[in-house]
Amino acid sequence: MDEKIISRDDLLKICQDVIEKGNTLLTPGAADYSVVKDVSKIDLDASALPSKISYKSYVFPRTEPVLYYKRSKNDVQLIDVNIDSKKIVILGAKPCDANSLNIMKHLFNWDYSDDFFNMRAKNFIVIGLMCSQFDEYCFCTSVGSSPVSEKGSDIFLIPLDANTYALKIITDKGKEFISPYNGHLKSGDENRSKRITENVKLPETAFDSSEVYEWLGENFESPKWEGVGNLCLSCAQCAFVCPVCHCFDIMDEDYSYTEGRRMKNWDGCQFGNFTLHASGHNPRDIQSKRYRQRVNHKFRYYVNKFGEILCTGCGRCSRGCPVSIDIKEIVSNCKNDQKELK
Amino acid sequence: MNNIYMPYTAEIKEIIDESPDTRTFRLRFRDADRADRFEFKAGQFAEYSAFGDGETTFCIASSPTQKDFIECSFKVYGKVTQSLRRLNKGDTIGIRGPYGNWFPLEEFKRKNILFIAGGIGIAPVRCVINNVLDLRDEYKNITIIYGARSVSDLIYKQEIKEWKSRKDIKTVITVDPGGETASWDGEVGFVPAVLKKNAPESENTVVILCGPPVMIKFTMPVLTGLGFKDEFVYTTLENRMKCGLGKCGRCNIGNVYVCKDGPVFTYAEIKKLPQEF
Repeated sequence: MDEKIISRDDLLKICQDVIEKGNTLLTPGAADYSVVKDVSKIDLDASALPSKISYKSYVFPRTEPVLYYKRSKNDVQLIDVNIDSKKIVILGAKPCDANSLNIMKHLFNWDYSDDFFNMRAKNFIVIGLMCSQFDEYCFCTSVGSSPVSEKGSDIFLIPLDANTYALKIITDKGKEFISPYNGHLKSGDENRSKRITENVKLPETAFDSSEVYEWLGENFESPKWEGVGNLCLSCAQCAFVCPVCHCFDIMDEDYSYTEGRRMKNWDGCQFGNFTLHASGHNPRDIQSKRYRQRVNHKFRYYVNKFGEILCTGCGRCSRGCPVSIDIKEIVSNCKNDQKELK
Repeated sequence: MNNIYMPYTAEIKEIIDESPDTRTFRLRFRDADRADRFEFKAGQFAEYSAFGDGETTFCIASSPTQKDFIECSFKVYGKVTQSLRRLNKGDTIGIRGPYGNWFPLEEFKRKNILFIAGGIGIAPVRCVINNVLDLRDEYKNITIIYGARSVSDLIYKQEIKEWKSRKDIKTVITVDPGGETASWDGEVGFVPAVLKKNAPESENTVVILCGPPVMIKFTMPVLTGLGFKDEFVYTTLENRMKCGLGKCGRCNIGNVYVCKDGPVFTYAEIKKLPQEF
């Protein structure tokens, strides 16, 4: 492991340079990951909870055109789109967010490659930051991650004191990014950062994901789904705040009589019309089936298809749920014999 | 950048009004090179665009042996099919595809084939029928059973006439009781009952079965009773789709993505799926 030390001032100098070169720099705040214009305002706080939403929308936008069309008398002219391939540097990514693109990339490259995702993901530099805080909704340790996980980060930072960070170079991409700034780095001491990471308080492991996987396989029909289905409002906020939910809709938007664009928009499996056929038939017609789909997709189907859990344990879906449905509680209790999940 | 959501434009060369609510488009890609290179297999589907209203999913209803054009047949039901219906001959639509799997016609060689279709389910079946008839020598006995609600709901009327006039295939057309006209010379009755009377031997026979869920539900026990094995009964599933590429996340039944692992499944495969379709 290539470990260095960098002072806060030097880190901000690198940030300044990133911005001056015309690239986008994002840091997490309470609400979201926002674009940094003034590096003096950067507040890298390892003890902050995950922001309300992750940086998913920078690689998979809420809404984006996939093509433009112009109708003339009989013909239609199609105009392709260009993806802005600016470099995006995420400074201080939570470990639960850092791995999100790695999880999603399987889906977007399964047989057909979605270059809308790939072109942006390729230009991401993820600088992860150790996390020293958790609340009752966090469960990263139950899905194979942890507050000190380097998975998905190109570079990983561990705060040593108020003004110094241990800097680990994880990937070749990270190495390439940092090499022009090698002058700012001093050689580090692995033992020092290890002492810190080893003493980080971890959220308790809430469930064994392989047990959940097994349970789901045997309990497609279970009275437990009805309990949570009755609670859920089908607002799909859980999908929108999720760093790895990726379902979308494709629809046309006319903006004049002859011209328009085809949009790819975020969608959510909790919406009643997500699977509604034109005939009126709906395979997932009631909320319990839709919630069952959500949990199965995350903890079973995705594992079967791509070998990874479609969840980072960030807890956003539960934190934001208007009716306090807690996915951690649901999957932890799946094996219990109580009639309802809640 | 390779844009997987970009369709090719195609011209509507001909419009055939099959029934009061069902229409067939004969289409040719505007790009000549694309038209020459477009290849698909019987059972595959495509995404068709009515620009301004979006995309919708149907099977390719013409046979892959037909190289000059492709056809799709659709029942006017939702937003996009209504929009498609407003288009005229010479107008442009978009096509993405072909997507999904297909009927394994190679494996059907030297076998008898029983086609059973109900309603708009005839569209994917017709593709296979014409494919098989173009290579008639490679297959043994062929039986076609097709039912619709009424005589006016029967589609592909011209082709039915041709199938009926051929001596080397058995064609049985039926309409639901009450759907017949005074001059109707076909059967009257639901598909399962008509099947019982007209089924060929199950030995060495594969079945291609497409139609509304209720028809499939009542036809399967009849087939089983006649000795047809689930693994030789092929059907298609039609879930709502947007991308056709295994990305948008709505057509799955458990682990199975209908757009990529389907739309063609054997009944044995369908039985193993969670009951959510």
